[in-house]
Amino acid sequence: MSTPQAPLLAFSSATVGYGSVAIVREVELEVSAGAFVGLVGPNGAGKSTLLRSVTGAAEVLSGAITLGGGSIVRMSPKQRARIVGVVPQTLPVAFAFDGRAFVEMGRHPWLGRLQDLSAEDAAIVDEVMELTDTSRLARERVDTLSGGDLQRLTVAQALAQRPRVLLLDEPTSHLDLNHRLQVLDLVRRLADEGMAVLGVFHDLDIAARYSDHIAVVADGSMAPAQTPERALSAAVIESVFGVKAVVRTDPVTGTLAITPVVRRADIERPTRGRVGVVCGSGAGAALMRKLALASVSVACGALNRGDVDQAVAEALDADHVDLPAFGEMTAAAEEVVRQEYAACACVIVAPTPFGRANVGNLRAAVRCGAPLVLVGEMTAERDFSGGEATSLWGEVVKAGALGVRTDEEALDTALGFIRDGAEE
Amino acid sequence: MTSAPGPARRRLAIATLVVVLLVAMVLAVGLGAVHIAPGEVIGAISRGVSGADLNKADAVVLTLRLPRVVLAALVGAALALAGVLYQALFKNPLADPYILGVSSGAGLGATIVLVTVGTSFANRAFGVPAGAFAGALVTIALVVRLASRAGRADTTSLLLAGVAISYTLAAVTSFLLVVFRSSMHSVVFWMMGGLTAASWQYVGVVAGMFAAGLVIPTFYARELNIMLLGDERAAQLGVNVERFKLLVLASASLVVAAAVSVSGLIGFVGLMTPHMARLVLGPDHRLLLPASTLAGAIVMVLADLAARTVLAPVEIPVGIVTAVLGGPFFVWLLVRKERR
Repeated sequence: MSTPQAPLLAFSSATVGYGSVAIVREVELEVSAGAFVGLVGPNGAGKSTLLRSVTGAAEVLSGAITLGGGSIVRMSPKQRARIVGVVPQTLPVAFAFDGRAFVEMGRHPWLGRLQDLSAEDAAIVDEVMELTDTSRLARERVDTLSGGDLQRLTVAQALAQRPRVLLLDEPTSHLDLNHRLQVLDLVRRLADEGMAVLGVFHDLDIAARYSDHIAVVADGSMAPAQTPERALSAAVIESVFGVKAVVRTDPVTGTLAITPVVRRADIERPTRGRVGVVCGSGAGAALMRKLALASVSVACGALNRGDVDQAVAEALDADHVDLPAFGEMTAAAEEVVRQEYAACACVIVAPTPFGRANVGNLRAAVRCGAPLVLVGEMTAERDFSGGEATSLWGEVVKAGALGVRTDEEALDTALGFIRDGAEE
Repeated sequence: MTSAPGPARRRLAIATLVVVLLVAMVLAVGLGAVHIAPGEVIGAISRGVSGADLNKADAVVLTLRLPRVVLAALVGAALALAGVLYQALFKNPLADPYILGVSSGAGLGATIVLVTVGTSFANRAFGVPAGAFAGALVTIALVVRLASRAGRADTTSLLLAGVAISYTLAAVTSFLLVVFRSSMHSVVFWMMGGLTAASWQYVGVVAGMFAAGLVIPTFYARELNIMLLGDERAAQLGVNVERFKLLVLASASLVVAAAVSVSGLIGFVGLMTPHMARLVLGPDHRLLLPASTLAGAIVMVLADLAARTVLAPVEIPVGIVTAVLGGPFFVWLLVRKERR
């Protein structure tokens, strides 16, 4: 979301930290009116330090941070608090102020000494309490409130500052599902109405869902802010978090959904052996993950783009032949798959439905010569290949293929074949 | 209990406390070896103010009893004000000038001036308060420094540092008294906490210091509230935290020095009265500051009255009276906090 005017919050080659210790170096970031920028990254990467440097709790060691065009080092705390409001993760409260008095503290930057709240101040407090759905908490003591109520009051307190820039530090990590949506929907709406928002998030789905742009902070530096799709590719997630993940578009929200598959550290052991998997439509995803965690490398035939199993195979670097979405296997692809399966200790046939697109994988498995492990039963509900899958299944059962009921049993059986192969 | 008192409620609470203080003062002036009726007390004061001829009882009221009672009120108010400020600053209900060692620091500062410069009136009126102020400032800086880890001082380390510093400074003071044996008696009696030497001159000095110490807290009452959310949040809401802390600590040290330099070490007034006020009136410093200050004055006037009259004609140092009341109160607070 670009706007013609100058950014409300800008970091220009800013290095921030504490004392003489730099935490994040050479940060370049601009947040304009109406933009919602998310900061993500591993624990301790310095996301919160970046936010804290805007309000003076961390230091700008070199470069500059500007708010509304003015450098923060030349601002008094009061001037700064008129431009930027902060919603922290939690506030410790152990005192008996009521909800309204708590929100009224947000008017402090606008009041002179000994000056009481004017009618206008009171109207602003009313309005932000209405917005955050906290009006009913006006007379409640804040030290008796639930975390969700207190957090919404904290949002109200920050909004009472009438800020043009809002900083969020994992504002919803202590909120339930309902209040999480409520708070973030509100912030998104404020951004749409012209607020500049910079938020730190641990939950990547939440970050992708609400942010226009996302900047990844890792290893003491920050990558340029980009659209969530570009900023949070599977490759970035693997290099930054050390996690192999499936990144796809959530069909409901239309935003990025990130499913962590395995930690890279958990599969970085030498391979014990190789197993083929006949899968598709997600029937093999869990099995492939278990095999990867057991240090078994996987060949999984031809898979269509957009298929869950294809995404998991890609995340796990499992050998597979990419087919276009809804594309069918060619004879050449089937031969490649057959050769891959032939090099395996065994081939596990996952309880996947078979259609014309993937029945070729089953044919390749049957003809590859490696022992077969069949998970579940073949039923009419699984066979959309005009009877071919059923007849292939009958053929291999007759030829002595092993039948198992669960992924666990399939895994154990496969490990047994790998051991046998190693002993010979 | 509502915690956002409107101006009307604030005025009512403060007016009530002012009336109670005036009644307590009139009673305290009237009671003693010679009983003087409240009407006579008021008459004497009005004659004194208007410059009319004074009778013999008027002289007792105006030159002996009244300065002592006014001084008691000022000392109580000063200690309570310091207590409120320390409690807000350290976000700690157990903070008070006595427990934090600030009183001992002021006491040592005052003692050094007394034993080195002497007990001339000018010195007692100006040198001693100055020494007490310096001692109080150095002590609070030291205690905060000792108790802080990464800029935060938690309850336990603050109390430990306060107690440790307090004992050390008390030992140094005792050592000085042994070395400067000639001034021992007067210094010891002063330090035990007493108002026997009260005079209008002292009232003037203490009132001046107290008024000066009251300026900053009055202007920063809203900041005192916001500081309860923690330093970082206060900064986010526009409070200049470092400047605020410096000014408030200086103000608290000034009023502690005022109290200590006339009445020695009087414990627990700064702990009890802000607490009672907070329990009844809530945490808003716009009300808590004046209310605690007035309540401190009331408590001190009554404690001094007890000190003078309970064992009459023998007079108990008022510090003993407040310690007898305050010690158990402190233990109660500590136990209650532990249980939570």
